[in-house]
Amino acid sequence: MSEVVALENLVVRLGNRTILDRLNGSLTGLCIGLLGPNGSGKSTLLNTLLGFYPPFGGTARIFGNDIRADIGRLRSMIGYMPESDAFIAEMTGIKFVRYMAEISGLPAREAMERAHEAFFYVGLGEVRYRKVGTYSLGMKQMVKLAQALVHGPRLLLLDEPTNGLDPEARQRMLQLIREIHDTGKVHIVISTHLLRDIEDCCDQVLILKNGRVAALRDLKEERKANRKFLELEVNQQNGFVDAISRLGCECASFPGGRLKIVLPEGIEVRQLYQLAAEHTVQIRRMNYRCDSLEDIFLKAMEEKPEARGSTSGRL
Amino acid sequence: MAVYKRIYKVYDGPLTPARSRFLVLSRYSWSALFESRLFTSFTLLCFSPLLIGGIFIYVVHSPTVMALVGAHINNGDLITNIWFWGFLQTEIFLAFILGVWAVPGMMIRDFANQALQLYLSRPLSRAEYLLGKISAAVALLSAITWIPGWLLFGLQAQLEGHGWGGEHLWLMGSIFLGCMLWITVIVLLAMALSVWIKWRIVVSILMLATFMVLAAIGEMASIILDTQWGRLLNLNYVLTLIETRLFRIPRHYIHAWRYESVPVWAAWASFLAVCLICLWVLNQRLRAREVERG
Repeated sequence: MSEVVALENLVVRLGNRTILDRLNGSLTGLCIGLLGPNGSGKSTLLNTLLGFYPPFGGTARIFGNDIRADIGRLRSMIGYMPESDAFIAEMTGIKFVRYMAEISGLPAREAMERAHEAFFYVGLGEVRYRKVGTYSLGMKQMVKLAQALVHGPRLLLLDEPTNGLDPEARQRMLQLIREIHDTGKVHIVISTHLLRDIEDCCDQVLILKNGRVAALRDLKEERKANRKFLELEVNQQNGFVDAISRLGCECASFPGGRLKIVLPEGIEVRQLYQLAAEHTVQIRRMNYRCDSLEDIFLKAMEEKPEARGSTSGRL
Repeated sequence: MAVYKRIYKVYDGPLTPARSRFLVLSRYSWSALFESRLFTSFTLLCFSPLLIGGIFIYVVHSPTVMALVGAHINNGDLITNIWFWGFLQTEIFLAFILGVWAVPGMMIRDFANQALQLYLSRPLSRAEYLLGKISAAVALLSAITWIPGWLLFGLQAQLEGHGWGGEHLWLMGSIFLGCMLWITVIVLLAMALSVWIKWRIVVSILMLATFMVLAAIGEMASIILDTQWGRLLNLNYVLTLIETRLFRIPRHYIHAWRYESVPVWAAWASFLAVCLICLWVLNQRLRAREVERG
């Protein structure tokens, strides 16, 4: 898969504080999630990719272009939806989006056409002649998305796109992001602290903690790899674990009679029941379980980011 | 994307030249300004000195009209460099009001709801953003200052004949430069205060205060310290001093208005210092993201 964003020892300092500390990683997904607690450096990373903050050390590449050298060209390929309010309150929605399209280089006629299309695309067609200042919070979020899409970028940077939205509006926003994702024509980077948003839309996640890479995971692969992951609760173990291991399964036991088993190809659940019967073990609970994003995130938050100087994109 | 299809489509059509893209900002700034009827009416009012000046020049060159009113005036004594200077003082006063009205609004609407980050996330640099806004403001103020000045100069040269235009060609440079000095100060000051304060009414008040309060402080400093250098804080004084030299105003006028107390080079230095301070403020504050030091 082609590389969308490559982080090469990226360091960003604001004032005397180091906000991003030697980030490394290769982001290749069609929809990439930036996850981390508040203050972990997600928005700073987006702002650095846009050239708003200069890297103190290292660099980043977007589609192979260095952000230090080619930021002008890169910006024409990027659509940015900021986290905070960003609009011109006195302008009508359609004029505002058209204006943004023209600044991106679209001729006036095409800009007008695309602005109308973008408005209908985000579902605000009916209110496009109202002043942006009169829009509700949800509408303002959608206008921000419309202005980010209007010039047809190759990369969309969405900073907390579902911030402040009610459940219905949030679903609509995520649905739109999924639709854009499904076209396969545009790469999306979503920064959020909401695990569900990432889980719903992304196929790769970069987890940041205190300005450092805590994990970089391919969610598609994780989902595939965890297809036969079983969680069992038994009354006693009585050599049951050894028997399972002899069967060719990876097995880990936990206090309280909990077992985690990865079933290889060809092994059926029925065989586990047989083994349990042979060892007079009662299986009290059994369920298929994926290593959820929450697990990945919590694991990443518990573990220390790798030692200074060797921070890599994978744990 | 299509209105009826609701499908996302990448744009692969033609693009406008990057060099002239800053003009989009100028165009939209103008369009926003003239959405206000009050502003449009005032702008039209600013052309009234041009109309009055044009009529005056015509009248003094018209023997029929002069005969009708029974006046015997040598028009060569009337329409001089002093007349043009006086005319431009009126135009500059109106330009100041127009600048205080238009420029802060032009800037602050981008700052009020943090829209600046949307401009700068596109292929538009900070310099181009500034260029777009400055060109809109300069074009607006030029339209009511040196351009009418040149039109009246052309009318006078045409009606006077006898090589008057050629002899007074330097006056065109004086009109242009004199007005541009004022326009530069008004525009840069209004922009710097706008990006710094981000509150339109306060910016307008501060603009007036910069001219009035600084002048008062300068005069007080001059009196208390028994020096003339305090006057360099008085922007009105500084710019008028430069203008008097540009328009070759005779010494007796200068003496009458006590414009000889500081050297002209000091006035130029004061003008440049104001411009540099404004540019420094713009450079510091005109950013997509503000960084809190700590």
